Formats: sequence, C-alpha cells, structure tokens
Amino acid sequence: MTTKQQTILLIEDDAWLAELEAKALEQDGYTVVHAPHAPAAIVAIDATPPDAIVLDVLLGGSTAFALLHELQSYEDTGELPIVLCTNMAETLSLEELKPYGVRRIVDKSTMLPADLVAAVRSVLL
Amino acid sequence: MNGREGKQQHDLSQYTVPSITAAAHELKAPLALLRQLALRLEDDAVTDAERRDLVQRMTLTTERALRLTSDLTKSARLDDALFELEPINPEQLCRDIVTELTPLFEAHHRELSLSRKTHPLLLVANRDLLRRIIMNFSDNALQYSQPGTAVELQIQAFKSSGIIRVGVRDYGPALSSDMWRTLQKKLSKAPQAIHARPQSSGLGLFIASQFADAMQGRIGATRHRDGATFYVELQASQQLSLL
Repeated sequence: MTTKQQTILLIEDDAWLAELEAKALEQDGYTVVHAPHAPAAIVAIDATPPDAIVLDVLLGGSTAFALLHELQSYEDTGELPIVLCTNMAETLSLEELKPYGVRRIVDKSTMLPADLVAAVRSVLL
Repeated sequence: MNGREGKQQHDLSQYTVPSITAAAHELKAPLALLRQLALRLEDDAVTDAERRDLVQRMTLTTERALRLTSDLTKSARLDDALFELEPINPEQLCRDIVTELTPLFEAHHRELSLSRKTHPLLLVANRDLLRRIIMNFSDNALQYSQPGTAVELQIQAFKSSGIIRVGVRDYGPALSSDMWRTLQKKLSKAPQAIHARPQSSGLGLFIASQFADAMQGRIGATRHRDGATFYVELQASQQLSLL
C-alpha cells in the first residue's frame, strides 16, 4: 500500500475497462480520477494536478499523442510521469516516447491488473 | 448533400481499404476487454451482483466483437454476392435496431432513441446491409458519446434529390472550437516520430462505405460542436412520391 494517497489520472475511453483499471489502482491505495478523452483530461489536470497519468493511445476526438504534446508545452504538466496502457504496445518505442514524459508502456492485451499497478508504482518512485 | 451552416461535413465514400493489421487491431480491443473482465471474475472478492454484471458485460462485448467479424466476412464477399434491393421503411428498421441495442446502451448508461417522422418514408436498400451500417454507426456512437447522453437515430428526406438520409447522432466530447484548433495545431507540429503513429483504423467506416456502395448509396459525417452524426444516404423509393 502507498503511504500517501496519490492521485492517478486515468485516461481511457472504454468505460468498462476504465472501471477495472481504476479498481486495481484503488485497491493499491491510489485515488483515481477518470477522464474518457483528452479535453476531459485537460480539465481534470487543471482541477486536481495528478501525481501520474495512465493513458490509453486511441481516444475519441484525438489521439494520446496530441495530448502528450499538449502536456509537454507547459512546465507544470511536462514533468508528469506517464504510463501508456495500450493495445498498440508492440508498435511503440519507449525510447522515442521518453521525451514526452512516457516512463512505462503496458500492453493492455496481455497485462494482469497487478502489472498496471506495478508500472504506476515504479514511475512514482 | 444539403450543407448546414456551422457544421463540418465530410464525404466518407472514398474511405481507404484497411489492412489486415487494422482488422486485427479492431478485434484486439474487445478481446482485451473480455480478458480483463474474465480476470476480474476470477477474483474471490467479487460479489454476486458484480459477478452478474461482469457476465452481462462479457456477453455484450462478445456480441459487439461478433458483429465486427460478421461485417468483415460480409465485406470480403461483397463482390461475389448479389444483394436484392427493395423498398424499406427505415423507421421500422431503426425501431428494431433500437430494441436490439437497448441492453448494450443501458449497460453503458446511455440511451438509444429514434427521432420519429410525421410521414412514413421508404427507401431502396438491402435490409441486411442497411441494418449493418446503422448498427455499425450506433456502435461507434456508443464508444464516443458521453455517459448519460442519448444517441439518436434520425431519418431525413431530401425530396428535391430523391435521397433519404439515415443518421446516427451522438453527443461526444464538448470540444470548443478553440480547444479543437489548439489540439490540431499541436498535433500537426509534433515530430514525425509521433505524428506518424497509427491512429484509429477506420475499419468500421470502410465496411459501412462498402455496404453503402453495394446499394448505390454513400456514407458521410457531420461534425458538431458537441458530437457527430454519421449517416448513409440512399435513393428514396418511388412510392415516396405517392405519400
């Protein structure tokens, strides 16, 4: 369990998947704020700056990459650690995405709930 | 097409042929969700109520995935098949679709409804293909609409051109024009390594476009400030003029 209640912004457009991922993170002591798309994520970040972000890649309206670029444009959000949780993991390179704040990539199609929790925990160390 | 001020319309009839990779990716999403639902089901802490909910979600997710595989099969065989075109009452067809998809929409806390017309309309179509197009658009709307909102099936007649449009209106992210422009500008300036990443495959739209072609129709989309309408346009039946 985490000693301090840390807030994770979960950006996932599939409501059912978001529910499952949030449950896993909450069971490990995190507070989870869910945003189904990039505009809602921007509003959520303004309201409560999270400690880390879990981000799906294909989102309604825009892709995660537009959001990553947006976050990098501001000093306060540019440092936020990001975990990409995606079905496209095998096509992505962590090295290429590191400049955009991405610290871990989790393969949604093969992960266990504990894998997502472990990835979040590792970026908050 | 009847242009509407303040809205952006796009002709989607030339949608590009998707790759096997795109089809695999589209199927990966529901399969990954199914796996997570099943993993949750294995958890001893799950209550009976949650278990019932999980099972229902697995069933509904499976049905969505099966619809996609069925559409893919149909799409691959379009050239070899003959599709009988007949006068169809789109309102009746839409009503049937609303009945069929209501459990799925309710499970997602959304409503699917039909905007009723005063006068009955008839169009010329293949019932199965038209049904698949509307189901496809409805699935898309479910994915991109806001919880608590209604998705509307809409039927419009353009008498001068003899066209009937069946559309699916969703209320998605309330994106202001400024925010949209900012995001688009940022995206266009992103480095190539990021910008060139694959995005949504558009497989569903490609399939819908093919089905519309097979009925001498076309599909299109209108982007609203608070969502989108995806539609198919088909020839009105001659019987329309008698109404």
